[in-house]
Amino acid sequence: MASNRGKGKGTKGSKGVLEEEESVLKRVNAWTNWTLKKAKGIAHYGFIPLVIIIGMNSEPKPHLYQLLTPV
Amino acid sequence: MAAPTSFNTTKPTVETKEKVDYFNLPCPIPYEEMHREALMSLKPEVFEGMRFDFTKGINQKFALSHSVFMGPTEIPSQSSETIKIPTAHYEFGANYLDPKLMLLGRVLTDGRVNARVKCDLSDNLILKANAQLTSEPHMSHCMVNFDYKGKDYRSQFQLGNGALFGANYIQSVTPNLSLGGEVFWAGQHRKSGVGYAARYSTDKMVATGQVASTGIVALSYVQKVSEKVSLASDFMYNYMSRDVTASFGYDYILRQCRLRGKIDSNGCVTSFLEERLNMGLNFILSAEIDHRKKDYKFGFGLTVGE
Repeated sequence: MASNRGKGKGTKGSKGVLEEEESVLKRVNAWTNWTLKKAKGIAHYGFIPLVIIIGMNSEPKPHLYQLLTPV
Repeated sequence: MAAPTSFNTTKPTVETKEKVDYFNLPCPIPYEEMHREALMSLKPEVFEGMRFDFTKGINQKFALSHSVFMGPTEIPSQSSETIKIPTAHYEFGANYLDPKLMLLGRVLTDGRVNARVKCDLSDNLILKANAQLTSEPHMSHCMVNFDYKGKDYRSQFQLGNGALFGANYIQSVTPNLSLGGEVFWAGQHRKSGVGYAARYSTDKMVATGQVASTGIVALSYVQKVSEKVSLASDFMYNYMSRDVTASFGYDYILRQCRLRGKIDSNGCVTSFLEERLNMGLNFILSAEIDHRKKDYKFGFGLTVGE
C-alpha cells in the first residue's frame, strides 16, 4: 500500500514537473516574440530620428535650419 | 683618340627575394569581400529610368541625402516574360559617420526603412547590423554580424532573422594567398551548408575561387593591365541546377570618368558610365541589353554632392 501510494505520487510529480517546464518555455517564447515585435516597431519608426538626433549633437553643432534648406 | 664615353654601366640588378616571414603575414581581406575587385568591375549598379541623388553634408560626420527615382521596376514572374511596373519613389536618408560608429538610415515613400549600423566595440571586434523593415508583417529582414580581426586571420559570426546562423573564417597562408571557409544554418528553411574559398592576389592580379555545398562553384580573375585599365572575368557554375554563367568585363578609370562594361554568356551586354562634370556633380548612364530575353534597359541619372 505504501509502495502504491509512493508510485502514484511519483508519476504525478514527474508529469507536473514536465508541464511546468513546458509552460515556462511557452511563456519565455511568447515573451521573446513580444519583445522582438516591439523592437522591430521601435526600430522602424525611430531609427532615422535617432540618426538625426545623434548627428545634430555632434561637433561642430549644426543649426536646425541647416537640416531643412537645400543648399 | 679616346672618345669620352660616359655611359651608365649599370649592372642588371638582381632582385633579392625577401625571405617570407610566416609569423608576420598581412591581415586578409574579409571573407564576404573576397570577390570585391571582380564585383566592382563586373557588377555595376545598372538601373532603368531616371535617378537623381542629392547628398547634403551638414557636418564632417553628418549628412542628409535625398534621392528620386522614376522608372519601370521588374517584378519576378514565373513565366519567361519580364513584367515591369512603372514606379516612382523618393528616398530620404541620414548618414552619420564617425571613426568608431557608422549609422546609415534610408526611408522610402512606401514606408520601407533600410538601416545599417557599424560599431567598433573594441580594436579588433566590430559589430555590424543590416535591417530592411517594412510595415507588412513577416517581410522584414535583419542580419547582425560580429567580426573579430586577428593578426593574420579574421572570423565572423552572423545572426539573422528566421533562425539564420552563419560563421566564417579566413586565414593568410602566404603574403599573397589566403584561405577561408564558412558554415551556415537556416532554421526556417531547414538548410545548412559549408563553403570554402581561396584568394590569391599580387600587385597586378587577383584570383579567387569559392565552392559551396549549396552547389555553387565561383571563380574570378582580375588583371590590372595599367593604372587606368583593368580586365575581369568571372565564372559561376551551379552543379545542382546545371546553370553556368561566364562573363568578361573591363573597367577604365580615367581622370574625368569611369567606364565599366561586360558581356555575359547569357547574351547580356552591360555598360555603365560615370562622368564627372564638375566638382561634386556626376552624370551617370547605364545600359543593359539582354539579347536572349529581349529586355533592353537604359537609364540616366545625376548625382550631386559627395
